[in-house]
Amino acid sequence: MIQWLMNIDRRIIFVFVFLGVALPLLANVFLPIKPTRDVIAVYDQFEKVAEDEGIVLLSFSYGASTEPEMQPMARAILRHCFSRNIKVVAVCLWPEAPGLARKVLEEIGDEFGKTYGEDYAFLGFKPGNFAVVLNMGQDFRDAFPQDNWGTPLEELALTRDVRTLRDFDFVFDLAAGDSIEFWWIPYGQEKYGFPFAGGCTAVMAPDLFPFLQSKQMVGLLGGLAGAAEYETLVGRQDKATAGMSAQSMAHLIIVAFILFGNMAFFLSRRR
Amino acid sequence: MQNKPLSWLVGLVFLGVIASDCQGQDAQNGRGSLPLIDNTEAFDTPNDAGNSITLTWARPRSIPEGGVYKAYIAESREGPYYPASEIAGGTNLQSEEPETFGYGDAAWDAHFIHIAEYAGGEGVVSLQNDKTYYVRLELHSGNRSTRAPIVTASAQGNYFNWKKLNNIVLGGLLSFLILGFISLARHRDLYIRRIGGLEALDEALGRATEMGKPVLFIHGLRDMSQISTIAAVNILGRVASRTAEYDAALRVVAPDPVVMSVSQETVQASYFEAGRPDAFNPDHVFVAGTEQFSYAAATEGIMVRERPAAHIMMGYFYAESLLLAETGSTTGAIQIAGTDAFTQLPFFVTTCDYTLMGEELYAASAYLSREPKLLGSLKGQDAGKAIIIAAIVLGALLATVDIPFLTHVFTPH
Amino acid sequence: MIFLSRTLPVIVALCFGVLGIGIYYVPHAAAQNLERELALWLRVVFAFSYLLGLYSLLNLHWQRIRQRVEGWGYSAMVYVGFGLMMLFVIHNDGQGPFAPQAEGTAAENGYQWLFEYVQVACSSTMFSILAFFIASAAYRTFRARTPEAALLLVAAIVVMLGRVPIGAYISEYVPAAAEWLLNVPNLAAKRGILLGVSLGAIATSLRIIFGIERSYLGGGDE
Repeated sequence: MIQWLMNIDRRIIFVFVFLGVALPLLANVFLPIKPTRDVIAVYDQFEKVAEDEGIVLLSFSYGASTEPEMQPMARAILRHCFSRNIKVVAVCLWPEAPGLARKVLEEIGDEFGKTYGEDYAFLGFKPGNFAVVLNMGQDFRDAFPQDNWGTPLEELALTRDVRTLRDFDFVFDLAAGDSIEFWWIPYGQEKYGFPFAGGCTAVMAPDLFPFLQSKQMVGLLGGLAGAAEYETLVGRQDKATAGMSAQSMAHLIIVAFILFGNMAFFLSRRR
Repeated sequence: MQNKPLSWLVGLVFLGVIASDCQGQDAQNGRGSLPLIDNTEAFDTPNDAGNSITLTWARPRSIPEGGVYKAYIAESREGPYYPASEIAGGTNLQSEEPETFGYGDAAWDAHFIHIAEYAGGEGVVSLQNDKTYYVRLELHSGNRSTRAPIVTASAQGNYFNWKKLNNIVLGGLLSFLILGFISLARHRDLYIRRIGGLEALDEALGRATEMGKPVLFIHGLRDMSQISTIAAVNILGRVASRTAEYDAALRVVAPDPVVMSVSQETVQASYFEAGRPDAFNPDHVFVAGTEQFSYAAATEGIMVRERPAAHIMMGYFYAESLLLAETGSTTGAIQIAGTDAFTQLPFFVTTCDYTLMGEELYAASAYLSREPKLLGSLKGQDAGKAIIIAAIVLGALLATVDIPFLTHVFTPH
Repeated sequence: MIFLSRTLPVIVALCFGVLGIGIYYVPHAAAQNLERELALWLRVVFAFSYLLGLYSLLNLHWQRIRQRVEGWGYSAMVYVGFGLMMLFVIHNDGQGPFAPQAEGTAAENGYQWLFEYVQVACSSTMFSILAFFIASAAYRTFRARTPEAALLLVAAIVVMLGRVPIGAYISEYVPAAAEWLLNVPNLAAKRGILLGVSLGAIATSLRIIFGIERSYLGGGDE
């Protein structure tokens, strides 16, 4: 029995994890969520932009694989922007991002009755990673001369006066890779000095903590938990908040298995 | 005598004009209740590409609530003057920008603004280089205002960014140390500690040869411009030399076409050097997928189908690290990973037999070749690390006793 | 040939390496314009690398199909998937391949449909497997064999619980402890590794710029 507990077949663990994730999602359980400091800081920065009737740049740097973690974050951020009449320019630095960005922009834009070209603009994808960020800082139109559908930026009311990254009141990167740490901070924020924050997958968040302390990032939304906290601040519980009950259960299951494994380990050592 | 009152009047008007331009005045009610703006200076904004000037002035002892500084700019002394900047009374102290104005106490007693553009008659106008601009600063509060004397400045592009002086000095010092130790290594034997993961490479390759199974080399996800990828290619070169020597099969998967091309070249050259050009097959070095999880899925497929005897994972990995390493561990292959991806280290440590952590990845090339020049650079790194540790300890102690000098020296701007 | 494959790349690396470092310290417009030009070159190279990747991928799977190696059917699927996606891109809702991407939701646009309901679904599935693998790896490896391992185990449990709402149910101190663990000990370790990594990066860059390290050009150092 002890040996069995110490070497539980991984498929049994998989079944428990599956049930732990699926059941709370099916039951649609919402747990109360308390926003943390770094998420509130992002919210406050957007509020500041709203007070100044400013414009923000949203960078979509994630692909299809992280859609369940990142798309709720994008949705919550856009809801906040559009509810406070913040103008949004969206760009994609990952080849897979345009489909996801376009979908969420149109969905939330329609929800708030926003007009394309006046309230938001979508400039599509450009290859080049950090080089695109560098170009945007030097001359925004070098990097994005036209929007996703070929309209020159001068012809869109929203982007007519945008000449460099410094013209944005806030830049927010939704990242599933190294775009925050290796593209936006060294080639964007550090070089051109604009208020910057980001949202990333949960596993990446610890990598970005030093940039919060050095004030190179205003705040950070880490994974689904960050998205759920933002939904709470915006006052609209959605997929991220629902996902947190599943994540809570999955974490409890993992902790339980770790404890079982250790109990068996100690019992076997005693023998 | 008849002209005397008139000349007095002209004189008074003249004095008034001078006062309004040069002395500062209470423009609205003349009661003088707003503080004067002293020590106004304008100059080219330092450390920039040009097209910007900076205006500084002394901080008054007190300022009425709601007081606002407004800067106006013109291309000639006579004007017209256009609004260029507006800040709240107590803000923009020079202490907020120490990289330009320093950390001294004086920075708390002066204000600044950078002017790069102004609202001209036909829209926003950017400042031009090498053109003289006339700047007038005013302090407004309610319906009262006071003016500073007009000052002039012209913008210029600068050839050195003095804010980065600490960066170039520290970078230069570290580079000097590294190059110095490389030079020293040519004449002296240098000792470096054993790196378990690299010692195990030979064991893994030997095992693959004995079993007649291939070795699978897996690149991380980053492109060829990244140091971790270059380090991984360096290790691949050594691995390929050994597999050519042992006559073991080598498969290399890359997520990036450029990494694949460089890897092909590297493996080919290693096979040539080992005298086995016939054993090199370019199809064994390939792009398994350019998207993160397509790449992971394709590589896992190879692990499960071809059952390589060894998996060598080198470079910068993301979430796919655990997918690869966990799948790899179920096949029973010996697994060696090396990454500078801090967040992925725990996954490799728990699922691989050996893990090269952080800079060990970069050291691998030197360690495997035992070339003095490369070993010297490792020693240089160690010396640099000793300096940084000393600076951290000393800086922490000094900051604790409220001497922030060293903290300022290391502050990036 | 040796000049083209060894000497010239080292000269290029030296020139652009020194130039890259120099530009960082020179704010003058001339330097910034040069940097802008170099960034544009980089973007052009990036764009071409996608073509190279496509060629490599298709060539690899073509060889597998041609040689009928085990599992060649999967390689055929690569062609089917690529062909299907390409077909919709070229059709572009009847506007042709040279018009900007057609608007429309997944229901109206085949390309968007394939992306949303095939690629997003498949990629998300792959990502979600992580949850299962993390659970199994954590169970197998988190054993309190030594006092250090026990400490790590306790820290891991606190962070796991503290990062989800259920942690606050257990105790209000759990999220606070998790945050402390992430912001203090975790960050200290991270900084230590980061300093080592940065020094390693400087050393490797210098070795490449000065031509001391050449194995990335293929083979040995000489």
